[in-house]
Amino acid sequence: MADQPDGIVLARHRDLKGRGWHPWVRRALVGVVALVALLALVGFVGQSASTTRAEAPAASLAVNAPDGVRGGLLYQARFTIVAHQELKHATLVLNEKWIDGLTVNTIEPSPVNEASRDGNLALELGHLAAGARYVLYLDYQVNPTTVGSRTLRAELEDGEQPVASITRSLRIWP
Amino acid sequence: MDIVLRAAFAFAFIFFLTRIVGRRELGSLEPFDLILLIVLGDLVQQGVTQSDYSVTGLVLAAGTIALMQVAVSYLNFRSKRVRTVLDGEPIVLIEDGRVLTRNVHRERLTRHELEQQARLSQIDSLDKVRWAVLETSGQISFIPKQ
Repeated sequence: MADQPDGIVLARHRDLKGRGWHPWVRRALVGVVALVALLALVGFVGQSASTTRAEAPAASLAVNAPDGVRGGLLYQARFTIVAHQELKHATLVLNEKWIDGLTVNTIEPSPVNEASRDGNLALELGHLAAGARYVLYLDYQVNPTTVGSRTLRAELEDGEQPVASITRSLRIWP
Repeated sequence: MDIVLRAAFAFAFIFFLTRIVGRRELGSLEPFDLILLIVLGDLVQQGVTQSDYSVTGLVLAAGTIALMQVAVSYLNFRSKRVRTVLDGEPIVLIEDGRVLTRNVHRERLTRHELEQQARLSQIDSLDKVRWAVLETSGQISFIPKQ
């Protein structure tokens, strides 16, 4: 039997005494990394879109947007309004969480007017005839420093009369 | 502040990854590994600095990573237990020309790779190896028989 090199303990480094469990720790940690990738594949960390709808006698409002996004990502929220009755002054009111910490690259089509209403963003869409379908696109980029969950509220009004509203959440991953 | 946290997290995550992928993958840099390393560096950079193009951002990110490296190095120096966790331990692969199959398989090595590494150390046969040890760096050190 040859003498071992300095620093080598045969029981530990050749016979692996007390090290039998090490590969299992490594496998478990690899499993954790794989699990994160798997969660990403099923959309857990963004940015697959979902649709939220609100039905009212006067109109319906639907929002299609991601439930989760990550810092720096570009994404889109699509608002679809179908007027069942005439809306003389259709206005979409978004709470501040639709804007805060996010960069709005564009709003298409541009609203007739934009205003702040108690800190919320009021987008005046103008006149919608009965049966009209109005689609509004908001294109965003997430500010890299913005993280956390938030509750988004969107309300469709006619003048200042509430017509339909939706509430949904957005999770922003770092 | 967030750039310091992101840099610290990136350092810890990369350290974690290098510990779990296994030493052999790190010890040999084939052309593909080299490209992968560059791609990984780019991905990490995007996560750390994101859209910050400032010199301040560079100083914060690079400074944080350097400080963490110094901290790890100091912990390695001070504590054997920490050194074992952070660096791992060597594994004997060959003893007196006999390949220790269990240890070799544990590190996902083949006899072919051992022979290749031996040739790089000017050893033409594993029979002439007294000791071969997979070091914590991922490199294999060969001690030939006298």
